[in-house]
Amino acid sequence: MSTPDRAPPVAAQPAMAPQAAPYSGRLRRLTGSWVPAALIVLVILGVWEGYVRLWAVPKWLLPAPSVIAMTLFVSRGLLLDHTLVTFVEVVVGFGLSLLCGVLLACGIAASRTLERALYPFVIASQMVPIIVVAPLLLIWVGYGLTPKIIVVALTAFFPIVVNMADGLQSVDPDAVNLLRTMGASRWQIFVKVQVPTSLPFLFSGLRVAIAVSVIGAVIGEWVGSSQGLGYLMIRSKPQFLTERVFAAIVMLSVMGVALFVLVGVVEKLAIPWWHNEQRQRSLQ
Amino acid sequence: MKQVASEAPPEVWGDAKVRVEGVSKYRLQHGQPFAVLQDVHLYANAGEFVSLIGPSGCGKSTLLNIIAGLEQPSSGTLYLNGRRAEQRLGTVGYMQQKDLLLPWRDVLDNVILGLELRGMSRRLARARALALMEQFGLKGFETAYPYTLSGGMRQRAAFLRTILPEQEVFLLDEPFGALDALNRAQIHEWLLGLWETLHKTIVLVTHDVDEAIFLSDRMYVMTARPGRIQLVQVIDLPRPRRLEMVTTAPFVALKAQILATLRQGPAAEPKDGQQ
Repeated sequence: MSTPDRAPPVAAQPAMAPQAAPYSGRLRRLTGSWVPAALIVLVILGVWEGYVRLWAVPKWLLPAPSVIAMTLFVSRGLLLDHTLVTFVEVVVGFGLSLLCGVLLACGIAASRTLERALYPFVIASQMVPIIVVAPLLLIWVGYGLTPKIIVVALTAFFPIVVNMADGLQSVDPDAVNLLRTMGASRWQIFVKVQVPTSLPFLFSGLRVAIAVSVIGAVIGEWVGSSQGLGYLMIRSKPQFLTERVFAAIVMLSVMGVALFVLVGVVEKLAIPWWHNEQRQRSLQ
Repeated sequence: MKQVASEAPPEVWGDAKVRVEGVSKYRLQHGQPFAVLQDVHLYANAGEFVSLIGPSGCGKSTLLNIIAGLEQPSSGTLYLNGRRAEQRLGTVGYMQQKDLLLPWRDVLDNVILGLELRGMSRRLARARALALMEQFGLKGFETAYPYTLSGGMRQRAAFLRTILPEQEVFLLDEPFGALDALNRAQIHEWLLGLWETLHKTIVLVTHDVDEAIFLSDRMYVMTARPGRIQLVQVIDLPRPRRLEMVTTAPFVALKAQILATLRQGPAAEPKDGQQ
């Protein structure tokens, strides 16, 4: 009995050593990624819960995290229905802003005249507060999903246009000359050099855009709507259903983070060379 | 009749692959025009290896840009294959100092760029490139991305990209500048071997006298500011060239003469006080 007991450690040792290294590496990667953030959230929630209970803060003033969690569970059907509406507004609005933003950026990058003609309007669109535009849209296009989608698109297209246009214009002139000496047409230079160069810039813009899209959708709903998370918040507040306001905020955050992560995943799939090169550079 | 003929450059001139006739290039600096190149005459015959050497800032790269068609001369004429060529883009292979490999393409797709731009299908172009991978020391790295390659490999990939479209003239702008001495000596012998099988015309710009003598049939020595041809030297060393030749008497004599010319500089130019 004792011999087989003693034998494995000797044999296992060389096998263990290479296993130990990736494990500690994984641990380091965990502590380097989401673990610190999760710890901070846990601490905040703990302090919040303790404060509300110790000082018996009324629910309508500040609900405890446990109460919010209960609401999330009990009203899950209601919350999901409204989340879905907001989700559709965000996704469609974001898609619309992506389409318009990329087209505008191409126009701006392609011609000096177009750049001078379009850029002032792109910037001006951000100077007019969206909260002023939203009620007007309500008057012009009605009460349904359309005005919300337009509000989302208006908030999201700016970072897309600016980043994509910068990317298209930041092309290496030597690379352009190389293609010219190979007899490339302007269109070939655009497709084979300018567009790939601009993609990392575009994705930076998309990550900002998806975050502000969520805000845009809520603003659109606040101004006038009958469904969506923004509407749910507006309606719950005067009813002193503060825990439901918080539950809506949680749903909104989860949706926002999920979409943000999704954009990151698409980016990694679309431009793997960019990430590998960045990693290589950071290692040197 | 005679006057007209001397003013308008002829359409056809000789049979040199490249002919640069009286090319000058002026640029504006602080509102003042200054000469980058002045009255440069140069030619390269079919299958000839010609180098262009001179101090930095003598307009060597500008001259190559003009031959490639990226820039137009302020005055003077260019002939390709004996014909006057106003539009030269896409007709000569040009390898610049930077390798300019596109980071989003792997090695194989980088080297087929020229073929792809001419409308060849990717499949066919890849097959053509794959056949040459071994000769260029890139075998096994077809799917590697440029950032993973060494400087020498990047340079060879850029070179393969330059020659794949099979133009008759290649312009090389200090292609070995980033390589250390040992790699350079190896790549020189390799390049000569390749050039002998290709039967193409090469115009090489360099600031390395040994490199120019070792590789060339003929070399042009330029002066700086404004760039002009100071000396045309035929390198009559036997071919194939061997590395040991760099220490032989004829090689050393040529080198001494060229270095002396380079050292004299533009001050030794007594004729015309235009500049």
